[in-house]
Parts: sequence; C-alpha cells; structure tokens
Amino acid sequence: MNYLFQVLTIISIYSILALSLNLLIGYTGLLSLSHAAFYGIGAYIGTLSGIVFGLSFFPCLLLAIAGTVAISFVVSLPSLRLKGDYFVLASLSFQTIVFVVLYNWIAVTRGPFGLTNIARPTLFGFSLSSDFAYFVFSGIIALACLGLLYLIGHSPFGRLLKAVREDEIAVSALGKDITRLKVTAFAIAAGFAAVAGLLFAGHVRYLDPTSFTLLESVFVVSIIIIGGAGNVSGPLIGTVLLVTLPEVLRFVGIPYTIAPNLRQIIYGLLIILVLRFKPQGISGEYGFE
Amino acid sequence: MLVQLLANGILSGCIYALIALGFGLIYTTTRTFHFAHGAIYTLSAYLFYTFYSLYAWPVWVAVILATAAAALAGILIDRVIYLPLIRRGSSRLVPLLSSTGLYIVIVNFIAIVFGNNTKIPSPGVQPTLVIGTLVLTRSQLLALGSFVVLFVFVLVMLRTTSLGRKIRALRDDPELVSALGINPLKTRTIVFGFGSSLAAIAAIISALDVGIDPNIGLAATLTSAVALFVGGVGILEGAVFGAFLLGTLQALTIWQVSARWQDAVTFLLLLFFLTFRPQGVLGRRHRSDEVAV
Repeated sequence: MNYLFQVLTIISIYSILALSLNLLIGYTGLLSLSHAAFYGIGAYIGTLSGIVFGLSFFPCLLLAIAGTVAISFVVSLPSLRLKGDYFVLASLSFQTIVFVVLYNWIAVTRGPFGLTNIARPTLFGFSLSSDFAYFVFSGIIALACLGLLYLIGHSPFGRLLKAVREDEIAVSALGKDITRLKVTAFAIAAGFAAVAGLLFAGHVRYLDPTSFTLLESVFVVSIIIIGGAGNVSGPLIGTVLLVTLPEVLRFVGIPYTIAPNLRQIIYGLLIILVLRFKPQGISGEYGFE
Repeated sequence: MLVQLLANGILSGCIYALIALGFGLIYTTTRTFHFAHGAIYTLSAYLFYTFYSLYAWPVWVAVILATAAAALAGILIDRVIYLPLIRRGSSRLVPLLSSTGLYIVIVNFIAIVFGNNTKIPSPGVQPTLVIGTLVLTRSQLLALGSFVVLFVFVLVMLRTTSLGRKIRALRDDPELVSALGINPLKTRTIVFGFGSSLAAIAAIISALDVGIDPNIGLAATLTSAVALFVGGVGILEGAVFGAFLLGTLQALTIWQVSARWQDAVTFLLLLFFLTFRPQGVLGRRHRSDEVAV
C-alpha cells in the first residue's frame, strides 16, 4: 500500500509542476525549459530554511516561494523580450546555470553529496512521517494549487495571457503591458514550482542536484505536450500517464537495468508522435501547430 | 601553463567548431533548431567504436562508414520528422520539440545497446608532439587538421560553387528560391547530410581523444548552439568564431576558477549575448528573428 501512496504523492507533485508550467506554455505561449530550475531552487531554499533556521513547514514554504519568485524576476526581465528559439535558449541557459550552481556551491547545497535525512513536517502535533499521511498532505496542497491555478486561468488575467499567446501585437494595441503580463505569469509559475519542490524534498527526504536537470525540465514540458496544453485536464492526464509509465513497465517485467532508458524512449516517441499527428495532445485546448 | 591551456582551448575549439559548423549550416539554411544533432554525434561515435574497436576493421573503413551513416541519419530525420511539420506550416518551436524528443529516443536506445559506462576506442597513451614547452596530442593535431581542411572546403564551396549559391539563397529567402525553379528539397538534403557528417568527424576525433558515453551528445548540441548564437546567426563564420571563443574562455575558466564552473561560464556568456547583442559578435541584425515565433 505504501507503494501506491508514494506513486500518488509523486502524481500530486508533478501535477503542480505541469499545471504551473502550463500557465507559461499553454496560456502565454512561452516555451520555458527552466521549470526544473525553479523546482530545484524552491526545494533547496525551503529545505535549507528548515535545516539552518529550524523553521516549520509553512514558514519554509513561504520563504521558498518568495526566494524562487525573486529569482524568477532576475531571469524573466531580460529574457522575456526574446522570442521563439531565442527565449527557449535563454531559459535553457538559466536551467544549466542553476544546475551548475546547485552542484558546485558545496558550502551551501552540499553539492553532489546532497542534503540527507530531511525531516517530514509535523502539523498541529500530528507527524506526517508515514507515506499515507504525507500523501494526504501533498494531495491537499496539490488540490489547493490546482484550484488556484484554475482560478488564475479563468480570471481576466488568464484570458489576457491567452490573448498574448494568440496575438501579442493586438494585446499591446489594447494598451496592455505585455512584458508585465509575461513577467507576472513567469513569477506565478516559478512560485508554484517552488511548492512542488518543497513537497518533493519532504517526500524523498534527500535532495541532490541530479533531480533538477535540463532533462527534468524537458520531462515536464513533455507532460504538457502529450497530455495537452491550455486547460486543466490536458496537463493532469499527461501527469498521470507519464508518472505511472515507469510503474507500468515495472509490472510488465521489464528488467530494471533498461527500464529507465525504455521509459525515456517511450516518452520521446510520444512527443514526436503527438506533435506530428495530434498537436493538441490527448485533451489540450491549445495545439503545438 | 597559460600557453598550454590556451592551446588546449583553441584545439578543443576546433572540435566545437566542426560540430557547430554543421549545426550552424543547418540552422541558418533551414531555420531548424536541430537538437538531435547531438544524437547524431553520439550515434556516429558509437558506430565508429563498433566498427573500429569491436569488429577491428581498418580505421579508414570505420571512419567512412560512421560518417556516411551520420549523413544518412541527418537526411532521414529531416525527411521523416521535420519536413512533414514544416509542410503543415507549424511554428519553428514544433520541430525543435520533436528534435528534442528524437534526441532522447536515440540516446537512450544507444544506452540500452551499449550500456552507460565510458568506452575508450583507442587504448594506451597517445603519441605527442612537443614544441618547446607545448605538448600536443595526436587527436589534437587531428582536430586542427580536419578543422582547417573542412572549414576551407565549406568556405570555398559556399562562395564559388553553384551549390553554395543555392545554399546561401535558401538561407536568405526560401520562397524566392522555389519561385526561381531551384528545388529547395535537394539543397536541404545536402545541407542535412553534410552538416551531420561534420558532427560525425568531430565525434570520431573526440572519441579517440577522451572516449565516449551515451551523454556526450547533449554537450555537443548545447556547445554548438551557444557557439552559433554567440558568434552570430546567419553568417557561417559566426559559429566557428563562437566555437573558438568558447574553447578559449573555457580554458581561461579552468585556469582562473575551476573546470567545474565551465558550463556556468558558457551559458552566462550566451545569456549576456541574448540580452545585449542577440545577433551575436559577427551577425547582422534581423528584426524578423526576434518577432517571428
């Protein structure tokens, strides 16, 4: 049973990641390859606040969100003026730099040695150390995040983001500040990624930089491509499908030596096939035309 | 010490330049961000390893077969993956994403077949050439020689032959090219085939130098992208200039900071250029590049 709860916890975490990145890719039309960087920054800031200052979960969460959002401005202000491949490259650069910093700033992050024995939070005197309790906890947080992201998506702000995606020049002709809209969307997405990061740290109870690579960013993007972009159901379906894929492979008896590679081959193929034959993904609103 | 490091930087710049030349030729001519270029790099290194080290075939047979296979793979990727998307009229980001998916597929396939550990096609210590205090290995000289020959070949081909004129015309205005009755498909095929074989040659030299593992292609793609965008898109010498700048800068990073921070310095350089000079050092400014999505 614990195994099932662990898988469900991972689904909760990735649904936050996918739906927040969806705000950039699906709503605003910004293909960002740096989501794993924000996910990692949030995980490290939150976990280190707990270790260094001895804070409890929610103050750590607030610090993680605030720190990640602040860093998102550093990236988004210069790079959001760029379009197309240029923006993709800028986000990819940021992703790589963050990984190098997490890996080499050993005095703070302990680099490749990782942060070990991360304590799971205790709420109102109730410990979340069991896998079931932690699943309930991350499930509730994920539902809250999904609700918030749904409200943002359906607010006037969300509709403006979709308008930016469809026709940037028309939106600016209406007197809207495009850069400000994009920077805000970027900051919101980064903040939610930080929440996912801190939940992940508590789930695996061990952090090292290899969880936050460029390929992890590509993985989250592929969840959105395969599931579909621009609404809530697409990224959710993509999350469930891609997160349970390795578990399915395990059940059909694929040897564990090739299972990780086979899983990547399958999602790589899915990306190619979906983009070619079903650009809107399984249930998306916005197609990668 | 500094002279040796700079020499190493310039010579690794030769390898980067070969990869980036192919990547840049493809990008500037077809506007395709060919992420899978790195997968072709990895694939040709492993094919060379298979023919040369496992089957013990003569080195020139292995080189020719691996290079030809790379060219074929590049052309196939264009025909099967990119062209259908372009014909559908998709934005440039869609081929980029498909290319990334393809990179993942090819590299993981290689990892399943060959395993994740490092393979060394050329065991033993390499012969070296000593000039004063400078020590150069055989693969470094090989890199320098191949780069000079191929770069001169590309320059002469682009400037003087009719094929070169077609490639430049396709770069400047694809629609006008077809209106003039030139078959753009044929030119694309040559660009993809030739660009991919350049990656294969770089991969083979680098394999002989430092060995191979399934992840070498990611660095190859990223380095060539950085070299191209720093040096300047739209002009072929741009990618080469960027590659040497990158090689030298990495050598200086090793000297002043540490090899571990190389990637951070490389991508900071790219961010700097994207922000302040998106056309790169040598490039001309195209407004359309920034506006077109």
